[in-house]
Amino acid sequence: MDADRRAQWLRGVLDLCVLGLLADGESYGYELAQALGDAGLGPIRGGTLYPVLLRLQRAGLVTTRWHGGETGPARKYYRLSAAGRTELRRTAGDWAAFTGSVATTLRQEER
Amino acid sequence: MRRTYAVAEAALREMLRRRVVLGILLLLPLAFYLSRRGDHLGQSIRFVCLGLGWALSTAALFSGSAGRAIEPRLRLSGYATRHLVGGRLAALWTVGVLLSTPYFLLVRFDQHDVRYAAVALIMALTVAVAPPFGLALSAVLPRDLEGTLVLLVVIGLQMMLDPAGTAAHVLPFWFSREIATYAIDHTDRGYLDRGLLHGLSAALLLTVVATVAWRVRQGRRAHLEFVPLG
Amino acid sequence: MTDDAWLAALAGELRRHQLGPDLTAHVVAETAAHLRDSGESPLSAFGTPEGYATAVADSVGGPQPTTRPAGPVRLEVRGITKRYRRRQVLAGVDLTVRAGQVAAVVGANGSGKSTFLRVCAGLTQPDAGTVRVHGRLGYCPQDGGTSEFLLPDEHFALVGVGRGLSRPAARRQGRAYAAALDWTPPPTQARHLSGGTRQKLNLVLARLGTPDVLLLDEPYQGFDRGTYVDFWHEVWRWRDDGAAIVVVTHLLNQLDRVDLVLDLTRAEAAA
Repeated sequence: MDADRRAQWLRGVLDLCVLGLLADGESYGYELAQALGDAGLGPIRGGTLYPVLLRLQRAGLVTTRWHGGETGPARKYYRLSAAGRTELRRTAGDWAAFTGSVATTLRQEER
Repeated sequence: MRRTYAVAEAALREMLRRRVVLGILLLLPLAFYLSRRGDHLGQSIRFVCLGLGWALSTAALFSGSAGRAIEPRLRLSGYATRHLVGGRLAALWTVGVLLSTPYFLLVRFDQHDVRYAAVALIMALTVAVAPPFGLALSAVLPRDLEGTLVLLVVIGLQMMLDPAGTAAHVLPFWFSREIATYAIDHTDRGYLDRGLLHGLSAALLLTVVATVAWRVRQGRRAHLEFVPLG
Repeated sequence: MTDDAWLAALAGELRRHQLGPDLTAHVVAETAAHLRDSGESPLSAFGTPEGYATAVADSVGGPQPTTRPAGPVRLEVRGITKRYRRRQVLAGVDLTVRAGQVAAVVGANGSGKSTFLRVCAGLTQPDAGTVRVHGRLGYCPQDGGTSEFLLPDEHFALVGVGRGLSRPAARRQGRAYAAALDWTPPPTQARHLSGGTRQKLNLVLARLGTPDVLLLDEPYQGFDRGTYVDFWHEVWRWRDDGAAIVVVTHLLNQLDRVDLVLDLTRAEAAA
């Protein structure tokens, strides 16, 4: 797949994907980056991910806490807030409608 | 007074940091003195006094142009003309006293049969006249080189022109030759009185000229009005 | 660059963006944790410290643009006209700046930006027009404005005394303003300072004694990128403290954040 286009698409939905991952439970930056990679969204650079997390935190969609690991350094954990849950539900619906329209349009092109 | 003192202190620091220039100025009158010491002792006194005048005028010229960059800013920062010109003159007068004292002592112990008090008076008047003369030149002439050349001409004329001629009277250091005659050749009091009058007038006039020239150089600002905040 | 050096640089850049000590510390700690977990090099994971700090600053909205009510009028410029020989430089220029406003003066080279500021400072006499300054005036020229043989501290004392400060107070204030520009004034005569450093001194002197109206004539010449950012942060801070500020600039990327723009290009074209 064209890497530029893929990065462009991801930029629009990265915050949604992060909200989606956090719906499964609390997580921290590096773990989220790995989960996004495992989900097939490609390697996500820290320089891209953390500003998105800051924006979500600032918008009140996630809450954070610092937790010192026994083996490693203290990490910043992110958790979905009630507002974040509502936002995820709403935008997930919007996204489904949007991709549906895109899919329909692309099929028309094939014919 | 605080402001005048601050300007004087800064001007003094500036001068003391220009060590090479200071060294040359300090030694220049000595060169003048030694140049004539061999043939005519009295002549060497005349020369050292004019040398002092030249050195101090040059110091004032350089000091005036050194202040040129920061003075507009100081004028906007609460300093009036009397602080800026007065402070710099005070610094130069101080340097003048410091510079001329060793030369007075030199004359005092190297020369005999002269009126020492009159020599001291020449030096005091020179210290009073030279700084406003140099400052006025620096205000009128934008470049140091031009000022230095004018100083050279003035001192050269002062040495060569017959003091009795009328043309010599308008030169700023005429009093120096006149009182020197009284001190060295033991002439009558008339020489002293005329010299004293000339020296005092020159000091006063040049101080006024320096102040006015400085004001003119700073430019008028009639279009600008300051309204104090209540 | 080692990880530690990169993180230190990041911390410096975040501070420049004025993100506050807490957020700066958190971002640095989180970045460090990520680097340790992933084993990646900071440059490949986060890019340059400057770039990443800018991204962080953008994501938290940067220093907050606030809509403050403009204060009373501090600078009134009316109908300033100036010609040099046959060339018209300024033609009937007006400008009103209130307390808490920043006005940018822009225009092509030779459009009279510096002349305009010198007229406002009373250093150049216009052919027509008036300038009224409410309160005290601070002026930072493009160059000059300092004394070759004096130390920075002596400059602070000299200008400060004129402004009615005591010498220690002037020195303290000067050093505090210098620190905001990431500069520790050395005991060095002004003639030995580099161009950019001399401009820092110039800028600090303009601000000494907190004048009500500040005229800044492209004061950032010779500044490196970080100091340039620091300079604008200082301008915003002085504005928020209620100063009326006029900045001559030919760099237009700050114009969206100033309150007024005076474009002198047209005056020149009309002449």
